[in-house]
Amino acid sequence: MIFSIFTKSIKEQLRNFWILILTVLMAPFFVFVYFLINESSQPHYDILVLNLDQGMQQGGTQLTLGDSIVPALKDHIVSMENAPLDIKSTPSRERAVHDLETRKAEALLVLPAEFTQSIMGPDPVAAEVEIVGDLTSTGYLISAVWLGALVENYLADISQKAPLYSVKETALGHSDQVDEFELFIPGMLILSIIMLMFSATVAIITEVDQGTILRLKLSGMKAWQFLIGVGATQVIVGILAILLTLATAASLGFEMRGSLGSFFLIAILTSISMIAFSLILAAMTRSVTDVLVVGNFPLFLFMFFTGAAFPISASPWFHVGNYGVSWQSLMSPSAAISALNKISIMGMALGDVWGELLVLAIVTVAYFLLGLWSFNKRHLQTN
Amino acid sequence: MITVSHLKKNFGELIAVDDLSLEINQGEILGFLGPNGAGKTTTIRMLCGLLEKDGGDISWDTTQNLSEAMGVCTQENIFWPRLTCLEQLIFMGQMHKMSRIAAKSRSLEILDVLGLASKKDTLASKLSGGMKRRLNIALALVHDPPVLILDEPEAGLDPQSRILVRDLIQSLARKKTVILTTHNMDEAERLADRIAIIDKGKLLEVGSVEDLKQSLGTGDFLEMRFRDNLESMFQNEDSAAWQLKQSLESTPELSAARINFSGDKLTIRSTQALEKLSLVTDAVGTVDLEILDIQLRKTTLEDVFIHLTGRALRE
Ligand SMILES: Nc1ncnc2c1ncn2[C@@H]1O[C@H](COP(=O)(O)OP(=O)(O)O)[C@@H](O)[C@H]1O
Ligand SMILES: [Mg+2]
Repeated sequence: MIFSIFTKSIKEQLRNFWILILTVLMAPFFVFVYFLINESSQPHYDILVLNLDQGMQQGGTQLTLGDSIVPALKDHIVSMENAPLDIKSTPSRERAVHDLETRKAEALLVLPAEFTQSIMGPDPVAAEVEIVGDLTSTGYLISAVWLGALVENYLADISQKAPLYSVKETALGHSDQVDEFELFIPGMLILSIIMLMFSATVAIITEVDQGTILRLKLSGMKAWQFLIGVGATQVIVGILAILLTLATAASLGFEMRGSLGSFFLIAILTSISMIAFSLILAAMTRSVTDVLVVGNFPLFLFMFFTGAAFPISASPWFHVGNYGVSWQSLMSPSAAISALNKISIMGMALGDVWGELLVLAIVTVAYFLLGLWSFNKRHLQTN
Repeated sequence: MITVSHLKKNFGELIAVDDLSLEINQGEILGFLGPNGAGKTTTIRMLCGLLEKDGGDISWDTTQNLSEAMGVCTQENIFWPRLTCLEQLIFMGQMHKMSRIAAKSRSLEILDVLGLASKKDTLASKLSGGMKRRLNIALALVHDPPVLILDEPEAGLDPQSRILVRDLIQSLARKKTVILTTHNMDEAERLADRIAIIDKGKLLEVGSVEDLKQSLGTGDFLEMRFRDNLESMFQNEDSAAWQLKQSLESTPELSAARINFSGDKLTIRSTQALEKLSLVTDAVGTVDLEILDIQLRKTTLEDVFIHLTGRALRE
């Protein structure tokens, strides 16, 4: 009986295409959007170098400092770690100006023909380098400051003098965290399962909406049998959604640090929890339209107050293992997100998150009891 | 035998089923006949256990759970729109604990009988109205229940499928107990072994078609339609209608007949009705009234219903 309900609900789920798409693609889409936002908000400056240096003869060999300046500056940037700069050489002034105008680059450094001559020649004079850019652009100002420091450093290097100064940059707050994107992923992974709220509730409420619950009632079916059959389908949908989200995140640079086994365990537990929650939602609604309207309320809560969309943590009432239980824990995704954070970002093991798993399990059981009771009362009673 | 005693259901002020007692015999086709709103569906829903009764008792003289032994074709079509005909019949069979193989062969058989064989792989939502109705009947039958309940099975059926469904119901006679509701007396008369007439929640009469007709006494109906509404003329004692009434009632040969004016219709129920025709036309000839048509007919269930309620079935 349960297996027939399962195969039937698989067929119906596949044929209810739009709900399936909404459920499965929402979180991957969010991951992608977040990636784009994150990417564009990272400061980054491109600097062009136009090398006109003619070089000079020294002891029978040609010496052209201009040829080595680009690799040297690049090396230096790498050694500075996290400097938001990129140095490229450019073939001509026209091309460089065009790039500056179209904002493909922030500043242009021009090395004159007599660059080597003026530095290394018999009577050194101050080399005249030119910096070109849009003076009203902040990007230019920052690039010019960096360029000044870089060139100075380079020249000190060549002339084997100790550099006059070195720069150490200190970031305020978390502004130096580049893996913000990665921090965002565990929440998104759980969000993909929170979306089950829709497909699972719709799968349940459809029977009420189209009246077929009556046929099921007449067959002597029990609520729990129905729930296992439909729930199994929804767990599969949940796994599909979280894998798609993980694949999207991985292709954009997310690195999973914990074990896949723990990851799946959390995914399945959370799916079951959301199915239990869907039963409560189904008890409060009567039709698919109701679900799509009413469902937005818990979706909103689960998205914004569990840490799914952005990190948020209330002060804990008490601790279970390493997990601080607070009002947020009443929403089961909270514990799941905390566990997944520890596993996928910090690379912890299952033993480190037993507190989360226990709370997740307890809240899920509570959802089930409340859901079965209210669903029975609302939709399976004779009245 | 299913015994229903003193069944009661109120919806707020409205008494939908009022102290209804009835026995349904094993293997009979019982027709529930009554106008819309009579309480047929409400009674059926209580029989199936889908609706809590406010009073009374329903018992069945076997150990099987009554609602699980029933196949129900509800008044509204209920099916899974995203499953094909065959898929949902098999599913329903399996839900009633049939094996998949048994459910499948039984489903194919029923689809064939109901003329849906070519639609077995069509999604139910894509069927025409009549086909949906037939699928709904198939869903009631798939698990071969000993008791079959059909709530207005013919509603929404085209004439061809009506024949299929009637043949099917007739083929079930004596093999299953069938309870069938209808507001169509023709349907009831053709299919039912016994008919229970129900109106305003009350069971008025139950018996075979013949018994019910006999209850009106013997004789046929002579029915005349006039150009004018006779009933409305009765306020005036000088009117032609009033005079006609007086004249018919004072005719000795018609003293045993039942004379009824209703709207533009005069109905006379009498033995040897045909012989009374000339008497009536003579009486009409003496007053200023014009007959549009004359009909001589047998007693129908409609007459029984009018006799019991004073109203026509189709109102
Ligand atoms: N759920 C309900 N709530 C309120 N009134 C109802 C309900 N179901 C039926 N009724 C009323 O009960 C009466 C009997 O209805 P029903 O049994 O459906 O009649 P039938 O099937 O004979 O046409 C009607 O007046 C109907 O309006
Ligand atoms: Mg009805």
